[in-house]
Amino acid sequence: MPGQGALAAWEIASVTSSVLIAEWILSAAAGASKAVVAIPIGLAFILMIGSHRLRGESLRDVGFRFDNFFRAIKLLLLPMLIVAIASLLIGLALGAQPNFLRWHPERRLIAQIGLGFAWGFVQQYVLQSFVNRRAQIIWGPGLVSILLTGLIFSVLHLPNPWLMVVTLIGGLIWAAVYQRAPNLIALAISHSVMTWLLVSTLPVSALNHLRIGFKYFT
Amino acid sequence: MKLKSRARLIHLLISKSTAEALLIAAVAVGFYFATTNVNLRGVLDKADRQVVSGWAVDEGNPEVRIEVQLFIDDRFVSDAPADKYRPDVHEAKRAQDDWHGFEFQSPQLSPGDHEARVYAVHANGGGARRTLQLIGMPYRFRIE
Repeated sequence: MPGQGALAAWEIASVTSSVLIAEWILSAAAGASKAVVAIPIGLAFILMIGSHRLRGESLRDVGFRFDNFFRAIKLLLLPMLIVAIASLLIGLALGAQPNFLRWHPERRLIAQIGLGFAWGFVQQYVLQSFVNRRAQIIWGPGLVSILLTGLIFSVLHLPNPWLMVVTLIGGLIWAAVYQRAPNLIALAISHSVMTWLLVSTLPVSALNHLRIGFKYFT
Repeated sequence: MKLKSRARLIHLLISKSTAEALLIAAVAVGFYFATTNVNLRGVLDKADRQVVSGWAVDEGNPEVRIEVQLFIDDRFVSDAPADKYRPDVHEAKRAQDDWHGFEFQSPQLSPGDHEARVYAVHANGGGARRTLQLIGMPYRFRIE
């Protein structure tokens, strides 16, 4: 029977492969029946929830909590500010005019940020509550588990080069903050706000409408 | 982590992997049948400096004249319906009538070895995709 580290590595590989299968194989082959893409994602969630239960992890343990919300926000503020300023400067250097209404202009901005929060919450749950926590089982808290979490987040955004860079930076920041203050609500807010700022400041052609996987080429 | 919980987690991981493998296999088979016309028959008979000719039939829809495209040395040359007179195909019972041949005028080609390929155009994905399916084998020929 595999040891704790090997089992945790298997879990990380399994969830990562599910997302890659959805992004690369099923979205390419499924055609109009996009619902099939939800199957590996659903299987990954069954595994993650089952794993939490079998490992005795509570909702609070994995980051569904409020008590450390302000601590997490405080840790996030400075890196978010630095990334936002860097994104603005890079965008200006590349000739992009900032437009804070560019992110799905057919929707009201507040609604889009709300959707971004929900989507960010799901991504942060997978990334931090599962990948980061399993990486800590293997290597413990610290640089290696943070690096692995960031790298996996970046790899899941293949082959979009700009998005891979920003998700690597974001993944490292969020993983580091989660290890100090595990709070998914704060991370989801940060995720949504940072996506909005990046979409608003970087050139549209660079981000390619945030497309990833096989869809990047369509 | 208790031994029993660990065993259950391993079972969960194996079950998930198995389900995903079956899903991918099903999608791969479905994709093959969606993008490939298994009833397509045909032969590229001849290719020289004047013409490229052969025949093509969709045995699933034998009354349809299928669209074919000629590529020489991997470059598109022309497309046309396979609706030319080929009684020999009918006589050989490969088609229900005499009109499933195709014939292209060869383009200007430099001296040397060349390769002709003819593909049937296959509409799929509810018309969203048009894929090319090779008819017969590539035909190699030489221009002196």
